[in-house]
Amino acid sequence: MATEHMLRMGDGKRIFLTKEKILADLKDGMADAVDLGEIPELSGDELDKLLDIIIMPARMVGVEPGMEVPVTHDIGTIRLDGDQGNSGVGIPSSRLVGCMMHERAFGADTMELGHIDYSFKPVKPVIAQEMQTMEVCQQNMVIPLLYGAMPNMGLYYTPDGPFENPGDLMKAFKIREAQESMEHAAKHLTRDIVWIMQRMMASGADGVNFDTIGAAGDGDLYASLHAIESLRKQYPDMYIEAGMAGELVLGLHGEMAYNGTVLAGLWPHQQAPLVAKAGANLFGPVVNTNTSRSFAWNLGRAVTFIKAAVKASPIPCHVNMGMGVGGIPMLETPPIDAVSRASKAMVEVAGVDGI
Amino acid sequence: MGMPITHIMTSGMSGIRAAGDLVARMEMSKSMRVGDAKNYVAKKLGVSTLDLSDEYVMRDLREELGIGVITSVAGAPKGIAAKMNIEKLLDLKINCCEKFRQKIR
Amino acid sequence: MSKEETFKMLSDAIVSCKKDAVEAAVQKAKNEGIAPAEIIEKGLAAGMNTVGIMFERGKLFLPHVMMAAGAMEAGVKILEADMPKDAAKKKLAVIVNGTVEGDVHDIGKSIVSTMLQSSGFEVHDLGRDVPLQDFIDKVKETGASMVGMSALMTTTLPGQREVIEMLKEQGLRDKVKVMVGGAPATQNWADKIGADCYAENASEAVARAKELLL
Repeated sequence: MATEHMLRMGDGKRIFLTKEKILADLKDGMADAVDLGEIPELSGDELDKLLDIIIMPARMVGVEPGMEVPVTHDIGTIRLDGDQGNSGVGIPSSRLVGCMMHERAFGADTMELGHIDYSFKPVKPVIAQEMQTMEVCQQNMVIPLLYGAMPNMGLYYTPDGPFENPGDLMKAFKIREAQESMEHAAKHLTRDIVWIMQRMMASGADGVNFDTIGAAGDGDLYASLHAIESLRKQYPDMYIEAGMAGELVLGLHGEMAYNGTVLAGLWPHQQAPLVAKAGANLFGPVVNTNTSRSFAWNLGRAVTFIKAAVKASPIPCHVNMGMGVGGIPMLETPPIDAVSRASKAMVEVAGVDGI
Repeated sequence: MGMPITHIMTSGMSGIRAAGDLVARMEMSKSMRVGDAKNYVAKKLGVSTLDLSDEYVMRDLREELGIGVITSVAGAPKGIAAKMNIEKLLDLKINCCEKFRQKIR
Repeated sequence: MSKEETFKMLSDAIVSCKKDAVEAAVQKAKNEGIAPAEIIEKGLAAGMNTVGIMFERGKLFLPHVMMAAGAMEAGVKILEADMPKDAAKKKLAVIVNGTVEGDVHDIGKSIVSTMLQSSGFEVHDLGRDVPLQDFIDKVKETGASMVGMSALMTTTLPGQREVIEMLKEQGLRDKVKVMVGGAPATQNWADKIGADCYAENASEAVARAKELLL
């Protein structure tokens, strides 16, 4: 009987597959990425390497010495003091303590200060709190500390915001009105992001991390790109990290464009050059995990997409590798064996500049 | 534990334990790809790129250069003092250090 | 033109998202003597299915989906006279959809509602942060045969299980299919709470709804 190797499903469940089945899944996942993104396949050697990584007998694997990369972070300290909703572990601690723990206990290469209501819009009323926290953290820390939040353009629609919900307008076949609502919301979002980051830079922040760009579709990306562009003009030396929400830019508007390129329907390798053009220093591509497929399928797919993004990007790529992205299973306590293998694969096969 | 720590243990440069923060600064401040960032930092530190993640090499070097050490050494530059030394080492400006200087009367 | 070619013509017209192209195609198919029900099911609905897949692949966008749906309505209108009374207006089934209480995420759920509506279902979208009893009340009010629930946070996910329990307590569980979705939801979760199906994305939601209800 053929040897079976332990791996996971996309939802984290443990399964056992033969080498041949694992390789078949890697190839299937790869083929899906190639088909969707119209990007090159991985080579036979690369697929073999992924197979080797998956079937390594140890619980944790590691990159070869010399291949280590910087690891950047999102969600701030919420993973420590936050609740289950953010996979937080509920340790009551100040954000200074949380940041310093990341720097000094976890070995983080960079860190992010974030707000408990982790979107840009809710930061405005509490900006003074964010500013003073940034000042205190910068006085005590050595690693780069960015200010991070999600653009989350959905907060600008009713009932949370002033503009009519485009989803409701679309369902009523009011297409142009829906598009106008998105355009107005995008302008407001850009304005708010710039306003907030001007104050954070005045407080000594190293820069900004945009988390989950595009969560509200192409308008969300449009607003973020314009914010990046504006910030870059004002702050030539600012660190700007731009991480995506999903692998595909959802075309909710369908016609919003940046630099002559329609944003709807873009895949990671197409997103990268635009993010660089806007003025970001770091791009965080995303590939979504399919919970009904094996880890091998998801990893083959994710590595294929990310490798293409790394190649197309003029700036460093720090692949998004959290719960349910980057090949990692969708589970609030992601299995260490899967996370470790996905991490190594992204560095050694996809060639990322960081995680 | 399942996410940041696992990534750092698997693939990370481990921050101020070694030279990860310095390489990250070059990626972020100058949009350097990881290879170029490592070469730049290694040259500035006078070490090889392999040494950048080597605790044996980096622990004493960081203390000598005053760029922040992972264990809390009394009297060693911390926070903005350490970052001002990083500015000189890497030949770049760090925002909080600029703000600090602007506040000195 | 063979029947298969006609169905392809109808489907392609839908995918073009152009109302006049769909109207012309429907008229042509009608002139060829194809039964209205077949024109709708094998031509227009098949086209809407393709539109859904192309949306998920990033080739078409939400306005296109709505234009295609609008074009389909226009095409079906042409066939009304030849169908039993109200048959053309008849929806495939009634679905209640919403994001569970405590969860304010909206976008994915709205896309699912839009796609279900475009595929011929009558959709009652309750919005987001929906009190759990509201799902039950709307099912009773509309006679819905399916309730869809989205949750994007692990803290709000249990709301999906609670609604299923409430359906059982109120004697409705046998009459209503339950579909769950949202980032933290998985097939495993759906099985655990006794949902009828889980959908990974909007296209899957349409496919699952059709499998369970038609």
